Amino acid sequence: MLKTEGKNWIADFKVKLILLYVLQILCISLAIAFIFSVFASYFKLNAILSFTIVFLIALLVGFLFKRIFQIKNDTTATYLDEHFPQLEESTSLLLKSSSELSLLEQLQVRKIVDFFPLEKGFKKPINKLLLSLLVLLFSIGVVFIIHRYALISTYKSEAMVQASSSALPKENIPAEIESVSIKIAPPAYTARATRSQSQFTIKAETGSKVTWLVNSNVAVKKLNIIFNNTEVVALKATNNEFTQWSFSKVVDHAGFYQLEFDGKKSDLYQIELIPDLPVNIKILAPKIHTTIDFGQVPRVNLSLTLRDDYGIKDAYISATLASGKGEGVSFTEKKLLFNVSLIGKKSIKLNKLIDLTALGMKPGDELYFYIVAIDNNNQTSRSDVYLVSIADTSELMSMAGLANGIDLVPEYFRSQRQIIIDTEKLIKEEKSMSAEDFKNKSNNLGLDQKLLRLRYGKFLGEEAETEVGGEEHTDDDGHDHAEIKYGDVQALMDQYAHKHDIAEDATFFEPELKAQLKAVLNEMWSSELRLRTYKLQEALPFEYKALRLLKELQQKSRAYVAKTTLKAVKLKQDKRLSGELDKIIEPKNNNTFENKDQTNEELKLLLTVLDQRKSGKVFKYGERELLRSGEAQLISAAANQPASFLIALKSLRKLSTANKVVVSDIEIVQKAIKVLIGTEEVLPQKQDASPALKLSNGYFNYLKNGRE
Amino acid sequence: MKFNEIVFIVCAILLLLLIFKEVRRASKVNLIWRILASVLLVVSFALLIVPINYQTTKEHTDAELNLITEGTDVDTIVKIKGEKYDLDSNQFLTQKRLKIKHIEDLAYYLQENNDIKKVNIYGYGLDEQQLKQLESYQVSFHPAAVPGGVISASWQKKIRETESLNVAGIYHNTSNTAIKLKLYGLGTDLDSSIVKANSKSNFSFSNQPKQAGKATYQLIALKGKDTVTAEKVPFEVVAKQPIQVLILASFPDFEYKFLKNWLYEKQYQVVFRSQISKGKYSSDFLNATSVDVSRINAALLKKMDVLVIDEDEMSAISPIERISINEAVSNGMGLILRLTNPKPNANSPKYGRYEIPSATATALNISAVKENLRFNELPFPQTLFLETSENEQPLFKSATGKSVVNVQLNGMGKVLVSSLSATYQWELAGKKTDYALFWSSIFLNASRKDLKNHSVELIPQFLQMGNSTRIVTTLGDTKVPNLAFNDIKLNPKQNMELPFKWDAVFWLTNSGWNTLTVNNAIENVFVYDELDWANLKNANKLNLNSNFSTRKLAEEINLKVTEQEVTEELSKWWFYVIFIVAAAFLWYEQRFLAN
Repeated sequence: MLKTEGKNWIADFKVKLILLYVLQILCISLAIAFIFSVFASYFKLNAILSFTIVFLIALLVGFLFKRIFQIKNDTTATYLDEHFPQLEESTSLLLKSSSELSLLEQLQVRKIVDFFPLEKGFKKPINKLLLSLLVLLFSIGVVFIIHRYALISTYKSEAMVQASSSALPKENIPAEIESVSIKIAPPAYTARATRSQSQFTIKAETGSKVTWLVNSNVAVKKLNIIFNNTEVVALKATNNEFTQWSFSKVVDHAGFYQLEFDGKKSDLYQIELIPDLPVNIKILAPKIHTTIDFGQVPRVNLSLTLRDDYGIKDAYISATLASGKGEGVSFTEKKLLFNVSLIGKKSIKLNKLIDLTALGMKPGDELYFYIVAIDNNNQTSRSDVYLVSIADTSELMSMAGLANGIDLVPEYFRSQRQIIIDTEKLIKEEKSMSAEDFKNKSNNLGLDQKLLRLRYGKFLGEEAETEVGGEEHTDDDGHDHAEIKYGDVQALMDQYAHKHDIAEDATFFEPELKAQLKAVLNEMWSSELRLRTYKLQEALPFEYKALRLLKELQQKSRAYVAKTTLKAVKLKQDKRLSGELDKIIEPKNNNTFENKDQTNEELKLLLTVLDQRKSGKVFKYGERELLRSGEAQLISAAANQPASFLIALKSLRKLSTANKVVVSDIEIVQKAIKVLIGTEEVLPQKQDASPALKLSNGYFNYLKNGRE
Repeated sequence: MKFNEIVFIVCAILLLLLIFKEVRRASKVNLIWRILASVLLVVSFALLIVPINYQTTKEHTDAELNLITEGTDVDTIVKIKGEKYDLDSNQFLTQKRLKIKHIEDLAYYLQENNDIKKVNIYGYGLDEQQLKQLESYQVSFHPAAVPGGVISASWQKKIRETESLNVAGIYHNTSNTAIKLKLYGLGTDLDSSIVKANSKSNFSFSNQPKQAGKATYQLIALKGKDTVTAEKVPFEVVAKQPIQVLILASFPDFEYKFLKNWLYEKQYQVVFRSQISKGKYSSDFLNATSVDVSRINAALLKKMDVLVIDEDEMSAISPIERISINEAVSNGMGLILRLTNPKPNANSPKYGRYEIPSATATALNISAVKENLRFNELPFPQTLFLETSENEQPLFKSATGKSVVNVQLNGMGKVLVSSLSATYQWELAGKKTDYALFWSSIFLNASRKDLKNHSVELIPQFLQMGNSTRIVTTLGDTKVPNLAFNDIKLNPKQNMELPFKWDAVFWLTNSGWNTLTVNNAIENVFVYDELDWANLKNANKLNLNSNFSTRKLAEEINLKVTEQEVTEELSKWWFYVIFIVAAAFLWYEQRFLAN
């Protein structure tokens, strides 16, 4: 290698060395900046800003420290001399021009020139760079881990803050309190674990046992806890220094409380209760009123859901059976159990098949039942009463109703009843007769049923070719095809028109009645179908239903009032109101309504006083009195609904003591008082008249009377 | 010897001297010109000293005054020709380049410059007092754009207990975003509405205040979450005026029973009489002392504010009693007559009515004709309705427009005729507020008016701190009232024509609630700060000024444009120019031309 080449190589080396140094410094600065940014975010500083600042500072320090800008060719030569012994401290000679070199130096140059280019020249800086890269990676890793962990923790704290803020925005804790621990032990029925909190605001299940453990930072002689501003209880000191106090109480109504340290009262804290609701019962089947017709299976499928917030203890069906008629009605009560274990379940779907015959129900009987459910807290709830009745077929057969009433359409009912009787008879005789005979008779019964149906159909205006008594439309059917006289338009029209019933016949019944008739016809259809297909047993239910519906129809159309004779004596008008009245006394009542409740009036005045306070007016003596009565109102309201009124109560107390006007406090109190007063009815008033009316009155009277 | 003559003599001597010199000069070149120039020089010199006046006729144009007031935009000001003046020196403090001069006192300035005949007003205009000074001038108003914000608002300054406060007005939204307008009081939003972007919309808020006494609500305009304006809505809730009611029933029915009990529970004085037999009555005195009510006489009725009676009872009482009732009504008592029969009775006054078949009668949905009252359905089929004669006014109507309550004047009192017989159904259905609202409205319309001992009017209605107010007191008699404003005694002046009216002026120094005492009775008066309701005030000014200028314009039509003889002075500049030219010629001629 030539000397000039060596010189160039050194220059090249210098550039690469600088580059490596710069990279190294960059890595280290980044690492430092990363670590710092994590600390910065811990101290709630702007992470990006602190990162940039630290990075720039580290970079600057790095550059100054490494003296990057001072690296020249000669310093590179020194660097090479230091790191490569084979150069024999002579690298700088390469940089000199050959004319300046002495002979000895020229010789030396020639000797070392052969070592160039130096192998592994960058070994050391590259190693350093790798090391700094490692440092950077490590720091990034650390930042990542810390950041992730910190992120979770901040989320957690945020969530906690949110939860507590939703309960109560700010809690003013007295300075005497070192720490507080409130243990809430929910009652057994909730099956919830004991929890503890360090907040004074309490949200607990009804009946929870709440234990306060208060640690004060100074010895307190007496520590009281005051509930709803009325109930004062002294806490017990648990250590000899009088700094630890405890108290426990079962909370069963909402309200508020405060602590009192040697007569110094703390802020008010609310106690909110989570009530236990009774079991919710929802019956899905059957319907509220079920009728079981003849032939239907006397069973009811009961299906329901139960739901409770903490757990169900028990549930059963309370059934009452009513049997008999008139005066002979007897009731029997029964308790039916669900054969499922319910204990502890929060929600369950139950099914039960109630066998009515097993309960001893006969046709005509009625079953009333309702569901009773008990929750863990022994609260019972019950459903509506449901009714199941079995249709009484024997009643249908009786003639009792028909004998003494006006029978509108008796023969039809008899017919349907006859069909039923015949069907039942045929069923009995089935075995004693030949199959053909049976089928024949069955078919005949079907025919009877059809005829009956058609007869009813007539009421509905139905038409069929095979109508009972219906006209066959032949040439010589009902119409008289007399010779047509010339010019007789009506007769000519008659020839082509087909007249039978008058249209009004079709609207003989009310629509409701018609709908019922239709239902009857439907049943008859079904019955006929079964009779014709020799399924007598199956036909029976339809026959019965048809009969029942018919019977109902009959009852409906029977609105009859017995005629009674009445003979009224004619009044003698002149004698009216002419009796002696001297013994009749004139009653006089004197009543004065005493409105003892003046609270609303006081609250209204207080609103005005507060409004004036906004503009800086100080409370006067009477106004302080109003404040006190308003406070009493708010206390009683807050004891029932701490969530709505406790803040207002606190603000009112602040108002009555503070010298400065805080408009937001006033508005909170006004808002609460507005709710307390509620809506008011409009009251009758007088209209105002101006005093100038006296003049116009004078004019008026003058005009009216012609004089003053 | 006059000054002018001296001037002419001196000038003549000078001229002679000059001509002499010119003639005597060696070179005789341009002699004529030089003499001419000398003559011109001296004559123009003389005329520079002595003015030349001449007579001429020309159309008379009076001087104008341009007044710039608040709200004028800069573009308009720039376009105005002539001098510009303002009355508030703070108004255009930063706009020095507009060259607006300041007038300290308008009246003084006008007095000083009596040639001003026309005043041009720019911007929102002047206030009432200032406009009064322009009464004898021609006024042309160049209005500024209608300001954004609340440009009109009104509400009751005094409401009675349980009455609603109704705040209504117009909001002019000049921004590009919708504005939420709300009535705020007692720490809550009581009512609100939205005003669309770039629109003018009416608003009407209603709320039943809970206070007893003075209160200040706020009318807040919100753009998003930013408050644009928050204006004060002061009002006063005064205690209810109790009324005395006499009820005469032919037989006690539910309607009477409920009405009686309702009034009783509200602590009103009620005397209730119902007939149990001929000439025998059962009577109740609720919150009232017992009196003899077997006969209705003027003395009894004088104490009563309202008499409630049904048609049957009206025809059953003696004619003398009917006369005294009529007399009482014409003296101010209210009469509520319940019609129950489809045909008028023989002795009772004939009020037109008609019956609809009960099959078509439906539950009644009544509404007030004048007021904006809404009621729930009255679950009772009403078959009897009223015919409204020409001197009757319907007060309540069914949804189909059939009248159920009519009102008629009788002397100073009012007669209300009602065909409703089952308003108690509201009470039964738990709609207590409807019942209360209905009967309160009925009683308010019927009741005898409460004659005040005095009434006070403050002018202007919108009192502003730093301004003066005129207190006009109207009294029942002509004695000197004892007036005091904030415990400062005022000495009122009696009105010349109306001796019961008294005038006093007071300068308002305290904002907020002030007290005005009239004969020991206290009236609360609210005084606004200077910046309160700025937009409204400007909008009012705009209206006031444009009305004023239109009125002035209408008057101006009768005025003629006159031609006048004017003495005018010829401008001295002309003579100066001649003087210079002549002098220049003489100098130039001597220096160059002569050689």
